[in-house]
Amino acid sequence: MSVAALHKKEMAPKDYKSDVNVVWCPGCGHHGILNGIMRALSELGVDPTNLVNVSGIGCSSRTPYFMQSYKMHTLHGRAGPVATGVQLARPDQLVCITGGDGDGFAIGGGHMPHMARRNVNMTYILFDNGIYGLTKGQYSPTSRRELKAYTTPYGGPDDPMNPLLYMLTYGATYVAQAFAGKPKVCADLIKGAMAHKGFSYVNIYSQCVTYNRIDTIQYYRDLMREIPEGHDTSDLGAAMELARGDGEGHRPMGLLYQVERETLDERLASIVKLVGGHEGYDKNKIINLFRP
Amino acid sequence: MSKANDLIIRVAGEGGEGVVSTGDFIAAACARAGLEVYTFKTFPAEIKGGYCMYQIRVSSERVYNQGDTFDVFCAFNGEAYELNKHLLTPGTTIVYDYPGGDFEPDAIPEGVTAYPVPMSQAAKDLGSYRSKNMVAMGVLSVLFNINEETLRQVLTNKFKKKGDEVLDFNLKAFEKGKELGAGVKKVDTWRVADAVEPKDVIIISGNDAVGMGAVLGGLEFFSAYPITPATEIAKFVATHIPKFGGTLVQAEDEIASIGQVLGASYAGKKSMTSTSGPGLALMSEMLGMAFMGEIPALVVDVQRGGPSTGLPTKHEQSDLFLAIHGAHGDAPRVVLSVEDVKDCVDMTVDALNFAEQFQCPVILLSDGSLAFSTQTIPAPKPENYTLVNRKRWDGQGKYFRYAMTDDMISPMADPGTPGGEHIATGLEHNASGAPSWVPANHEAMQGKRFGKIAGLVDTYKPVEVDGEGEAEIGIITWGSTIGVVREAVERLRAEGIKAKGFYPKLMWPMPVAQYEAFAATCKKILVPEVNYQGQLSHFIRAETSIRPIPYTICGGLPFNPSMIVNKVKEVL
Repeated sequence: MSVAALHKKEMAPKDYKSDVNVVWCPGCGHHGILNGIMRALSELGVDPTNLVNVSGIGCSSRTPYFMQSYKMHTLHGRAGPVATGVQLARPDQLVCITGGDGDGFAIGGGHMPHMARRNVNMTYILFDNGIYGLTKGQYSPTSRRELKAYTTPYGGPDDPMNPLLYMLTYGATYVAQAFAGKPKVCADLIKGAMAHKGFSYVNIYSQCVTYNRIDTIQYYRDLMREIPEGHDTSDLGAAMELARGDGEGHRPMGLLYQVERETLDERLASIVKLVGGHEGYDKNKIINLFRP
Repeated sequence: MSKANDLIIRVAGEGGEGVVSTGDFIAAACARAGLEVYTFKTFPAEIKGGYCMYQIRVSSERVYNQGDTFDVFCAFNGEAYELNKHLLTPGTTIVYDYPGGDFEPDAIPEGVTAYPVPMSQAAKDLGSYRSKNMVAMGVLSVLFNINEETLRQVLTNKFKKKGDEVLDFNLKAFEKGKELGAGVKKVDTWRVADAVEPKDVIIISGNDAVGMGAVLGGLEFFSAYPITPATEIAKFVATHIPKFGGTLVQAEDEIASIGQVLGASYAGKKSMTSTSGPGLALMSEMLGMAFMGEIPALVVDVQRGGPSTGLPTKHEQSDLFLAIHGAHGDAPRVVLSVEDVKDCVDMTVDALNFAEQFQCPVILLSDGSLAFSTQTIPAPKPENYTLVNRKRWDGQGKYFRYAMTDDMISPMADPGTPGGEHIATGLEHNASGAPSWVPANHEAMQGKRFGKIAGLVDTYKPVEVDGEGEAEIGIITWGSTIGVVREAVERLRAEGIKAKGFYPKLMWPMPVAQYEAFAATCKKILVPEVNYQGQLSHFIRAETSIRPIPYTICGGLPFNPSMIVNKVKEVL
């Protein structure tokens, strides 16, 4: 969303908090991401009245409850289509999705490519902890095979996916990655995503201290490598190289890719313009097409 | 056999041979001549080839259904002949492509009139086999009194867009057909009724009529996924909604389409989707969300033969269970069912209104035979439709999205409204929307969500009763079977049998009192419907004290009036 057009409001990050208690475990990475989101909103001066936060089901999908805004807590995996509907209905509002890896890439995986290729003008903040927390610890599409989880007592049988490559491949126009232990980086990347016109995707690693005992905060600290200065963020090939990793198991942190492309709502608006559409169009003209 | 002034012509051949356009032209010409038209077609699930049939029933009086069988049959090829020859009963007439066609009929049964006409040959002589259907139309117009002037007007309107050359060629083929027809010695008496004063009508299919209803109902957002036999609704909306500044999206699947509808509706737009049974099945979870989150949404289900992929292009009325109860938890919705093409327009407007009024999912049921049936209906008058908008928050005081109110309907607030920030949620919640597991809260909220639609049975005209006083037989039916029963009831009365009809349009909540009152006046209740289990019979047994006699068929075709008449005689 181009936030420039929004009504501005001066608010401290903490003012975006709602009066619903945050129910995440102490030490969960999600707290840091929530702070990052509120900081980004504060820095952009977003009026919560103009924000619609949509989620599916899972620990991170509870985020909308904890913040002031218009919000929808929908079904497992379905935040994408619902948020798409909101955005197309009200392109003048700021729309974002907050959800997890299982919600987004397992049950909701069928919707991910379409938000990206359509360039729906909204931000997807994916809290990636490699686990299903709310159902008490099953392996997810981003879990490492080493993880012995509730339904994988002998280790996982499948290889994890690469969310960044996925999003780049399907045409997201803003792709970034951070981890929850760096709230300032999270805030900056989320801010960039919200200010971006088009579909922006921010993958944020988040430690689950209760069910994923191998992806610890220290593990992520060692894993992440800041994207080198001089990386050309408009170069899709270079972004994909970064997304693949450095061959030593590290993961990039920062903005991988950002380009401008017409958004879905803009293209739909141009159809209306093409046919000269307006609210007062005479319905009799359509009825008359069916006279024998 | 039809009444006087009531003729049924069936044209059949291979898909792509012009069967459908022939039917469309004849139907339009008759409508233009002031007559009432009801068409019925079947076609294969394959794209190219396959048997294709188009039946036109035309009368100077209102026509309620496709009729029993044809009076006049025009066979374009041998397959069409083979599939229909058993219907060549005494009194019927066959026009067939001979010599020069691909078949020679068996001996013509006694009492059947046969007119061999070399239609293919004539078309080939003119230089294009593809003009066979134009030749056929010329033949039929002469033999059966199809108004030549209006037929010529319809053809001209259609082909002039393609240039004079195309128009002239087609009219030449039409003339050739007339010449061939004039050379036939007519011995039967079948003829289309003479033209009358043209009425203010349109001729439109069930699917297009749903699209028109959506436009008249003020639809602003539409999302759907392609599925037979509902896709024409999306095509109609895609063509016309941008003219009003509205939005159409083809989603990646049916779950996404209903998801987008809920998102757009939450954001303040009148929203709907259209689908068939398989899509409605996929949408079940989202319908529960719409109910729980109190989000207005309309789903039009054009039913087809099931289960599973089933018979995608065939007729069935078998989604009543799914429409009424298809979701987990206790999740009621408003379910409406259309009888005919006129209902497709008017009840789509009603359905959009109910979604807005009650802030809940509404399902409108149509079916495969209505989807493609074209019918003459009074031209809708946009100013005659009253549109309902959802109750919106007035901005006073603190806002509670799910506040308890007298009518159990809580005002909504569109995004961007200061002070109206709230959550729409599938979790059980209290008045503010915050999650709540308090037992008394869940009971109260369920009561609110059920209660707000319960009164619809009194405020909407939920049923139509056909007939007065006591009856030997009462026939309860729904959907497009209603049109068949209307005619059956007329015929039974003409034979001195006291018959009444009961035609519900509001399927859920069920107007139980009306069912009971009707049944109290009838010795026996017959419930014909096109599904295996007798789904409406099931609901009648479950919700009322009536013990109906189910009459079910599920062969992919609708009932015809004779079947109902015969069944009534059997059960009396």
